Amino acid sequence: MSQPILETKNLSKAFGGLIAVDKVDLTIDIGKITAIIGPNGAGKTSLFNLITGVYRPTSGEIVFDGKSLKYNPWYAKAVAPMLKQRMLKNKLQRHASAHKRAALGIARTFQHVHLFGNMTVLENIMTGQHTRSRSGFLGAAIRLPKMRREEDTIRLNAMKYLNMVGLGRQAEQNAMSLPLGQQKLLAIARALATEPKLILLDEPGAGLNALEKRELSDLMKRIRDMGITVVLVEHDMPLVMGIAEWIIVLDSGRKIAEGTAAQVQKDHKVIAAYLGEEDDGAEG
Amino acid sequence: MLGKLKNKLVPSNKHDPSVEKPTAQRHSPISITQLKIGKISIRWTYIAVAMLLTFFILAPFSWFLGKYNFVMISMGINTIVIVGLCLLMGYTGQVSLGQAAYFGIGAYFSGYLSKSYDVNPWLAMLIAAIATGAFAYIIGYPIFKLRGNYLAMATLAIGLIMVTFFKQWDVYTDHAEGLSGIPFLSIGGFAFNTPFRRYFLVWAFCLFILLISQNIVRSRTGRALRAIHGNEAAAESIGINVTQFKVKVFVLSAVYASLAGSLFAHHMPSIGPQPFDFLASVKLVVMAVIGGLASIWGAIFGAGTITILSEDLLVRLTQLAPVAYGLILVIVMIFMPQGVFVALKSSAKWLQVNWINLPAIMNRKRKEFPSQMKNRMIRLVPARLWRKSEP
Repeated sequence: MSQPILETKNLSKAFGGLIAVDKVDLTIDIGKITAIIGPNGAGKTSLFNLITGVYRPTSGEIVFDGKSLKYNPWYAKAVAPMLKQRMLKNKLQRHASAHKRAALGIARTFQHVHLFGNMTVLENIMTGQHTRSRSGFLGAAIRLPKMRREEDTIRLNAMKYLNMVGLGRQAEQNAMSLPLGQQKLLAIARALATEPKLILLDEPGAGLNALEKRELSDLMKRIRDMGITVVLVEHDMPLVMGIAEWIIVLDSGRKIAEGTAAQVQKDHKVIAAYLGEEDDGAEG
Repeated sequence: MLGKLKNKLVPSNKHDPSVEKPTAQRHSPISITQLKIGKISIRWTYIAVAMLLTFFILAPFSWFLGKYNFVMISMGINTIVIVGLCLLMGYTGQVSLGQAAYFGIGAYFSGYLSKSYDVNPWLAMLIAAIATGAFAYIIGYPIFKLRGNYLAMATLAIGLIMVTFFKQWDVYTDHAEGLSGIPFLSIGGFAFNTPFRRYFLVWAFCLFILLISQNIVRSRTGRALRAIHGNEAAAESIGINVTQFKVKVFVLSAVYASLAGSLFAHHMPSIGPQPFDFLASVKLVVMAVIGGLASIWGAIFGAGTITILSEDLLVRLTQLAPVAYGLILVIVMIFMPQGVFVALKSSAKWLQVNWINLPAIMNRKRKEFPSQMKNRMIRLVPARLWRKSEP
């Protein structure tokens, strides 16, 4: 068996008294399309934000690609020999910040597209290559030949991803001038440009028509075939059931079921979560 | 190899009938983008650049604009500060209302070191730049935890604090007579002791700063900065270290301001706290806005306009000068929010496309113009006021 690409162990997040994510244990298998579903307010987006590092977990741990996303900062390393108690050491541990996780290979898209409106379509994707390139202020200022070569590579790669989602024609347009369906594709292309191992799609199908949804599921399969693990949060059940190889169901912050589409559809807890419980059916 | 790949990847729209060339270029044998003399064709852009360069080279000679050398020098110095401000405000979207403070730190540091300790002025300039950069770096991390209006308040406060320092710490800043007798910059035996010589020094610096800033904007770093302006959450999600980039560009703009301040110190006969106060910061912001915040070359235009106005025309207003700046800022923000320079540039571009239809368009505009202007003016007045007057 291959090791899972992402594991969460006992992951919790509380906003004051409200527990958004409650002791969730997930395993996301490598090279599969996994869907996370659940009714509104189930904590799906919060879970995404925990995985991508927008939020810090209240407790628990995330393991990505066999490595924990917790690390010891330099000051913790400096004082570590002086500390005996394990508790105190754990207090000093930090969770890797969002931009570091992007560099590690976790990419995401947002529910509200979040494109860079002050750039063209191509530049949006070129920005996605940020973590895969080096040059800084100084190299840029004096236009080192190395930096110019790097820029060419970035442009070519960006064009590759742009053609992959079928937006090659619109390369020089402003990103915000595209219709919503294409904006969502662009957001996915920008996430792909970070060359991730795992891509998290937050409601990619919302606001798309039937044709665009078919194109979207096609694209997701192609992404999977590239060897990138796909995790999506989605409300559109036909889309999810058609494409997801593994489905995880959340309800009010807890994982209530997981399995293939057929297994999940028969699950009593899932039916109860979506349709409301009946008095006699709840126990069975 | 790369070229071949590029051909493959970039879809060509050569044979696509749906993509048509603009009408102006298709029908007319002459193009407005190029000047054609016989077989030679030169782009108008290059001609404009060449004319500007010639102007700037000839300007300091006494038979041309020699008597305005002081104005031109302060224009160059202001341009350097504003390029930094453009990078910070226009590209990264972070407001700084205390930029004159870094200008002042550069000026005093460089001036005091070279006057009192006989440090080589170039070295003093370098030390001042490093010190200002370090100062900006230290305050940058806490200050960029703030956003929007709060950031503006904090930078404003830093500006005010530094002005107080310049005024009160008179052991070093000598505020009574101003710090005077600062040595001029010199290369070998060649001292920049006349305005004519300093003109070329300042504008060479200015050109250098403009070029490297433009390179920065058009690179990976520049894209990261614009991404932060566009959407911070998205920028973070694709791996841009938002805080670090904000601090870095803040340091860069402070270093630019400091270099400009050093040039200023070695140029003026004496320096007092007045050119570094709050009004100076406001002036800088007005210049940046007029030039167009997201436009590097607009900095010259913005600096030029406001410097010429403030050195000559607005001085006559004395107490009312700040009102004039405020008024200019308001008017520009309402009618040309991207800046006067950018507005001019885009209208030139519009002219390139539409010039062949110009008579027809002008005819239509002439009919529409009064009502359009009325609508625009009405929008400035609260609706309640003008609705009452109508029956």
